[in-house]
Amino acid sequence: MAQEVLRMEGITKIYDNGFVANKNITFWLHEGEILALVGENGAGKTTLMKVLFGLETPQEGKVLINGEPAKIENTLDAISKGIGMVHQHFMLVPSLTVAENVVLGIEPMKNGLFDFEKAVSMTQEVADKYNFNIDPKMKVADLSVGQMQKVEIMKVLIKGAKIIIMDEPTAVLTPQETDELFEQLILLRDGGHSIIFISHKLEEVKRICSRVTVLRHGYCLGSYDLADMNEEDISRLMVGRDVVLKIEKDDPKIGKPVVHIQNLVKINESGKHVLDDISFDIHEGEVVGIAGVEGNGQSDLSDVLSGMGSFTSGTVEVNGNNIKGKTVHEIRGMGMAYIPEDRMEYGCAGDMSIRDNIVADRFFKKEYKSGPFMKRKYIDQIVDQYIKDFEIACDDKSQPVRMLSGGNIQKVVVAREFTSGSNFILANQPTRGIDVGAAEMIRKTIVRKSREEGTATLLISADLNEVLECSDRLLVFRKGKVVAAFPKANEVSEAELGEYMLGLKTMTAEEMEGLL
Amino acid sequence: MNKTRKIEMTVELIRILVAVGIAYLIALVTLFLISDDPIYIIEQFVLGPFSSVRRVGSIINLAIPFTFTGLCFCFMYAVNKFNLSGEGIFMFSGCMATLAAINIGDGLPFPIMLLILLVVGAVTGIVITAIPALLDAKFKANIVVVSLMLNSILVFLSIWVLKYLMRDPTIGSMGSYPLPDNAVLPNVFGKFRIQSGIFIAVIAVIAVAILFYKMVFGYKMRVVGSNPLFAKACGINMVGTIVVAQLIGGALAGLGGTCEILGNYDRFKWTASTQHGFDGLMVAVLARRNPILVPVAALLLAYIRIGADVVNSRGDIPIEFITVIQGIVILLVAAEEFMGRFKKKMIYKAAEESLAEDKKEEVAEIMSEDDGEGKEQ
Repeated sequence: MAQEVLRMEGITKIYDNGFVANKNITFWLHEGEILALVGENGAGKTTLMKVLFGLETPQEGKVLINGEPAKIENTLDAISKGIGMVHQHFMLVPSLTVAENVVLGIEPMKNGLFDFEKAVSMTQEVADKYNFNIDPKMKVADLSVGQMQKVEIMKVLIKGAKIIIMDEPTAVLTPQETDELFEQLILLRDGGHSIIFISHKLEEVKRICSRVTVLRHGYCLGSYDLADMNEEDISRLMVGRDVVLKIEKDDPKIGKPVVHIQNLVKINESGKHVLDDISFDIHEGEVVGIAGVEGNGQSDLSDVLSGMGSFTSGTVEVNGNNIKGKTVHEIRGMGMAYIPEDRMEYGCAGDMSIRDNIVADRFFKKEYKSGPFMKRKYIDQIVDQYIKDFEIACDDKSQPVRMLSGGNIQKVVVAREFTSGSNFILANQPTRGIDVGAAEMIRKTIVRKSREEGTATLLISADLNEVLECSDRLLVFRKGKVVAAFPKANEVSEAELGEYMLGLKTMTAEEMEGLL
Repeated sequence: MNKTRKIEMTVELIRILVAVGIAYLIALVTLFLISDDPIYIIEQFVLGPFSSVRRVGSIINLAIPFTFTGLCFCFMYAVNKFNLSGEGIFMFSGCMATLAAINIGDGLPFPIMLLILLVVGAVTGIVITAIPALLDAKFKANIVVVSLMLNSILVFLSIWVLKYLMRDPTIGSMGSYPLPDNAVLPNVFGKFRIQSGIFIAVIAVIAVAILFYKMVFGYKMRVVGSNPLFAKACGINMVGTIVVAQLIGGALAGLGGTCEILGNYDRFKWTASTQHGFDGLMVAVLARRNPILVPVAALLLAYIRIGADVVNSRGDIPIEFITVIQGIVILLVAAEEFMGRFKKKMIYKAAEESLAEDKKEEVAEIMSEDDGEGKEQ
């Protein structure tokens, strides 16, 4: 057996709100292996890695590196002990070059000034050594997501990391970019680096990892040899039951168009066409999914439709009303409900109660007030009902929302938006970062509302599985344009979708005819 | 999670008590160093305010303006706008109400006269707060700077009005003509000699509490203050709510200034800012922006002030020293992270306890599910 480079023993981490993220976890890493760390969202993977990288201080437990006890109190300690972390969300300065980003923190100096030439040669050296095909003089802003990730990995390598933490590295990558990343990781492994690979994509885990450590509800369920296990085994360990990835649904009964988008263009402050001549309709009773690598106009479309942002030209109609220049309040009045991308920032007021959060979009309506007063009893009644219907785990309706878990906060958001009486639901990343149970409930509700109540839904999601399963019609966004349209989402393969997302293929206007 | 909520509330309460305790401890230690008779001074400071009926009345009397300005700043806080114009409004409204009273004369019956003067005070407050509120809403002018500058303008505007429009030349000091008899708020409760503005203050507290927690506008205001982006995403009219909340705050400061003049003075003679506005800011911080707690915080502050007065008149301790003590109390109460470590420890402990309880259960459950799945290395 190879030498053990890292051992974390009895790690317990409790957050300030009393949430226990890690419960006495022990895990270890051998030299030159790729270890998968799997678990549902909220199982404690990211917290454990933050502890290892010095971003969080655990209440109990110790870390041993090469058998020696190590004190890791901040990230500098971690880096000096040869630990590097590639974050899920890139930490790069877009306006600087690749070389400048890579040497950040260890900048070469000449005569008291930054030595750019040296930085380039240092970066080139690392790129050559590990076979990264990237130009150190390019600006990060001009790179693709896959290339940015390479820059992140180089940043870690140049500081001499032997243990590399990869936090869901494939979440933002297309299947083709993922393949390239895996080749790189295997190269690193053979070069003696040890890699901790966090993912919930089990087929990826199976492909490149030799061992898997499973976390659940903050406990470590143990480490297993992947040679003995198949994907179903791991999945069962992760969630304790067989996950239903398939959603049963009837064919949609498509009615009249609810949302009509015609030649929509949005040019942002820096003059970039973030939405470039987009036209499509969303009809009664159907779920339209939008797939695409993040940052290709999905968020901008969501901002336009919700009224949070303006647009430059084109027509957008909700139930026949033009939304140009209208406020969020007016667009909601036309029949729009909106699940925002970032629930803590736009979806709730953390310090306010569940009750106050649920009535935020409707308190001004007649049935909720009498004169200038709120109908407290009536509101209490419906809020209690929603807490039951949407299975929100809480003490009672007056509990501040910030004390709930991520999944339950999202359920509060969803309970509000799904009961608003709107016939158009704009769901932007409705299940991001929440546990499987809550996600499943939300997805099923989206489909059920479209089938039973004829709601028109626009589902924007970075989770390919989610868009493929929930959507009827599927559109692919790239660089602010619709580059592909599929009539039946569940008949599209992830690989095919990836080719369109990445821009390897583009449908012509004729091919998409009738699908927009 | 339920436990966490309880701990948060308990720690909050303990924190305020500890803050007051520490302030008194510092006072005690310092007094031992600088005073000849520290025990007597402390006794006077702590018990002096209760030593006579008159002094208890003084505490309540002093708490009345604090309540008005405290309520004013609850509104500013609620919408997260540090509009400090309450300070200047307090003085200027008193000035305007006096001017109105002198000009109307004593022809009207008392209730109508009082109503008119209160309206004058409130409207003055509304008009004045509208300046920083609208400059902020329309032009994003820094509200703190604008309102502070405005306070200076109001002080000198009040002095100008006093000097050129209503100065009584027959008295030696600077002062307006006397208030007509029908404009004076009588004292009530016999020996306590409390100004009858107390009734207006009590009504104001109740009205504001209802507005905050029962009315649609108060709800809107709390959402906007708690998370503006969320308010926007829900379609709440932010700018309107923010401006109107400030105007109501201004009206309350105006009412406070009017009651103070009509209740405690026979003529307008303020020639410097009264500081009641900034005291109101403190009251609102102590009351944690909660209008129901404003009278409590106002009484606490008034008690400390009267204690200081007593010590000042009896002992060898300068009043500035008392201001330092008062500052320490406010500092510790306002510092939200003070005792934060203690709170965290309590939360960790509670979490660990419940962890031990459900651990066996959960592990057993997990293990039974995994029966025969994979083998541990």
